Amino acid sequence: MTRGVLLFCFDTEHTKYHKILERCVRLIKMNIGVEITVVTNFSTYQKMSPMGFINYKFIDPELGNKLHGNPWNNVDRHMAYELSPYDTTMVMDIDYFCFSDHLAQFFDTHYDFLVTDKAFDLSGRDVFDDERKWSLIPMVWATILLFKKNKKVKKIFDMVKYVKQNYLYFTELYRIYAKNLRNDYVSAIALQQINGFVGYEKFPFALPTLPRDCEVMEITDKGLVWKCKDEINTVANQDVHVLNKEIYDV
Amino acid sequence: MDIGDLKKQADLSYNIAIAKRNALEKAHSRMVLVYSEHIFRADPETICLVRTLKETNDKLFVLDTNNNPVEIQDPTDFLSKLIERNQESLNSYHQIYKTFEKKGD
Repeated sequence: MTRGVLLFCFDTEHTKYHKILERCVRLIKMNIGVEITVVTNFSTYQKMSPMGFINYKFIDPELGNKLHGNPWNNVDRHMAYELSPYDTTMVMDIDYFCFSDHLAQFFDTHYDFLVTDKAFDLSGRDVFDDERKWSLIPMVWATILLFKKNKKVKKIFDMVKYVKQNYLYFTELYRIYAKNLRNDYVSAIALQQINGFVGYEKFPFALPTLPRDCEVMEITDKGLVWKCKDEINTVANQDVHVLNKEIYDV
Repeated sequence: MDIGDLKKQADLSYNIAIAKRNALEKAHSRMVLVYSEHIFRADPETICLVRTLKETNDKLFVLDTNNNPVEIQDPTDFLSKLIERNQESLNSYHQIYKTFEKKGD
């Protein structure tokens, strides 16, 4: 049984995602210790520094999605099932930094599909609680997905594709106010539909997350130092999902 | 205490409170244990349950974190791993907690 991490990385004119990827890959190699496949395009690939043995899959990203007015090439996640060369795949956002081996153990589970449904705000303000409360269905964080290749999971990804095609309809239906395409919402809707509206299996932890207005000041292989308003704090030996994309400059 | 000292103390207390909260969450997260292909939480409730059931049973049935039933073939090994993970998490939290005490001096 093969296992590995699948990452999606496409530079935009505003954000050097390949720089974020380089840090992410280094930490996965150090702490998770499984094969890595990066889905990217050739122009992004050309900018990447050598990262040792990793696999690449080249696609042209679907354009048109935006985040805070800037291009955001994040809508190809629905192809993860077809693009993954592994029997068990962990799809991870490249801004999730594995400063611990916490995620490695989940490759040994029997679950077909796992997703997280909670985020933990490391800045202490619980800013994520308000964002999604109007939705009629429970939301998930698609930052990390674990799936096995089988018929059931193929149907989940087929449903993800269907939701993506009819995204505006589903956001209206479920009172999701964000109109840009977010993998979190697409996954939540698809999982709700395919599981008959009765819930689904999840990772039993909240994603440690630094909100967008927190600036990362320093990163090492063990953790990071961040600043929020006037306060400076650190995280060590704990995974962190960093929402501020200026991290590539650190 | 002048206003400068007060602000300094308040900021320090705030930073310690955030760091403590994050360290506790880290410990809770670290208590998650995969055993027999299922996910468990190495918390006091699970440890006490397994220890109690182990006294009268050679094999156990417990629920994982997604409420799936799991047959535990070797309760002694399971309990040992639960305790190990629980104490590893809390030991790490304890180490961090000691640095807060120093900062508060």
